[in-house]
Amino acid sequence: MKKNFGTLNVRILSFGVIAVALVTAVVALLRLDYIGEKGSGLGKEFIYDIESLTKIDPELLIYQESGGAISTGFTQSSAIAAQKNSPGRFYVAGDSAVKIFSEQGEMLDRINLETPPGCLAVGNDGLIYVGLKEHVEIFNGQSNRLARWPGLGAQAVLTSIAVYKENVFVADAGNRVVVRYDKAGNIVNYIGTKDEEKGIQGFVVPSPYFDLAVAGDGLLRVVNPGRHRIEAYTFNGDLEFWWGKASAHIEGFCGCCNPVNFAILDDDSFITCEKGLKRVKLYDADGVFVGVVAGPEQLTGAGQARICDLPAQCRAGGFDVAVNTEGRVLVLDTIENTVRVFNRIKTR
Amino acid sequence: MWITAGIIRRASSEEQVKMKEPKDIINRRRFLRGCIRGGFLAGLAGLTGGVTGRAKSQNTVWQIDPEICIACGNCATHCVLEESAVKCVHAYAMCGYCDLCTGYLMPEAKQLDTGAENELCPNGAIKRTFVEDPYYEYTIDESLCIGCGKCVKGCNAFGNGSLFLQVRHDRCLNCNECSIAAACPSGAFKRVDISEPYIPKKVGHA
Repeated sequence: MKKNFGTLNVRILSFGVIAVALVTAVVALLRLDYIGEKGSGLGKEFIYDIESLTKIDPELLIYQESGGAISTGFTQSSAIAAQKNSPGRFYVAGDSAVKIFSEQGEMLDRINLETPPGCLAVGNDGLIYVGLKEHVEIFNGQSNRLARWPGLGAQAVLTSIAVYKENVFVADAGNRVVVRYDKAGNIVNYIGTKDEEKGIQGFVVPSPYFDLAVAGDGLLRVVNPGRHRIEAYTFNGDLEFWWGKASAHIEGFCGCCNPVNFAILDDDSFITCEKGLKRVKLYDADGVFVGVVAGPEQLTGAGQARICDLPAQCRAGGFDVAVNTEGRVLVLDTIENTVRVFNRIKTR
Repeated sequence: MWITAGIIRRASSEEQVKMKEPKDIINRRRFLRGCIRGGFLAGLAGLTGGVTGRAKSQNTVWQIDPEICIACGNCATHCVLEESAVKCVHAYAMCGYCDLCTGYLMPEAKQLDTGAENELCPNGAIKRTFVEDPYYEYTIDESLCIGCGKCVKGCNAFGNGSLFLQVRHDRCLNCNECSIAAACPSGAFKRVDISEPYIPKKVGHA
């Protein structure tokens, strides 16, 4: 039988071509550089590298995460609060709602809002104070709205609320001032406006992070983020003292404007939260650095310490923090929209 | 005729019968004919694509979407121009006018001043001007900027992201196949309508 060496089987040929095409496609996909990891070929002087600053000395880590991250179910979360008179639960604001969770992560209740919230606080009486863009709304434990206070103007951006006895303090990042209300919603006075006679330089708020809280000593603490410090005021607006310094090193506050948020423990020590280099740290009542709750590697997970790639990720990187009755630290991850709980494991 | 091992000979009657065999048998002539047809079609498609692309490029220009840009540095090295057409620009309305500007100063700057050792930009392309305590204004000297995006990363990471990269159309050649677009890892480099050749950043807060 005579063989024909000049012919090929079409099926075999087609299979071969498809196989080569598939292998080429897979190799091409694998070689794609989605996040620019392969580099641009620029010299190292042109590379922005802060990886060394993300490393935290393990000796400084005095807290440890317990349990897994609790999903809030929000697509854009903004604030977290806990209340001593409501143990075992915490409150998270996001999207157009406030959700109330048990410490196990079960959602207990939900308050729907008309617009996205920026901040919230819970009073000793269980009332929930929610700061929307430029006004405050108050809800009771049954999710009923009790009051809607007048707005502070188009320029206002409310970023923090604190309730203390008969006072409600509201931080307005847009106008760079703290507004002191009574519980009926009347403005009592303004705190932090520039006053050279009183030695008040004024708040520097480059980005919409401007937090406050009342400490056990009865003084109002307000972050002055552009000056990298926490300032103590009387309720009448007199500046008493401040602490904090700008530094990329662990003892200081990094970047242009930090800390973004803070919470006060029962012993009047401070849990601070920074953006950029995401760091949650503990300072004593006098502002002396004590240790680290979590650093970039702990907060971004899986041993990574990426700062952020896309502008939207960077903008969402201002985590919020709260402390519960047991002294646990609750960190709201505003990128993943989860809550992570940290327990103290050692003293320094 | 068949071409076999370089010898031209007339097809035998047996081979002529084989030419009428089922279609799943292919010979070299048929394979060659298929290749020529395929090549012709590919050429035609390329020509059509080229003409369409040229027509399209007359109405569009290349630009960077700042919300997708990751400031990888490829803009500085992949442009066909010796000095890239991509430059850093500044959205003043978004800027915090910070004293400690992380787009201007090194992360561990010794002093918050204009000392070269404190500046983030290796080319000194950002100028700092005092406004009032504690505010400073930052402007870009485009003649010094190479579009590396180092300042953009610093501003994004800690600040408001007011520094960002844009294609400068007084420099860009508007190539059909842009080398930077081909190298852009995030797909931020794209064609935009010539009537709106820039993609400004929007103010996200007060």
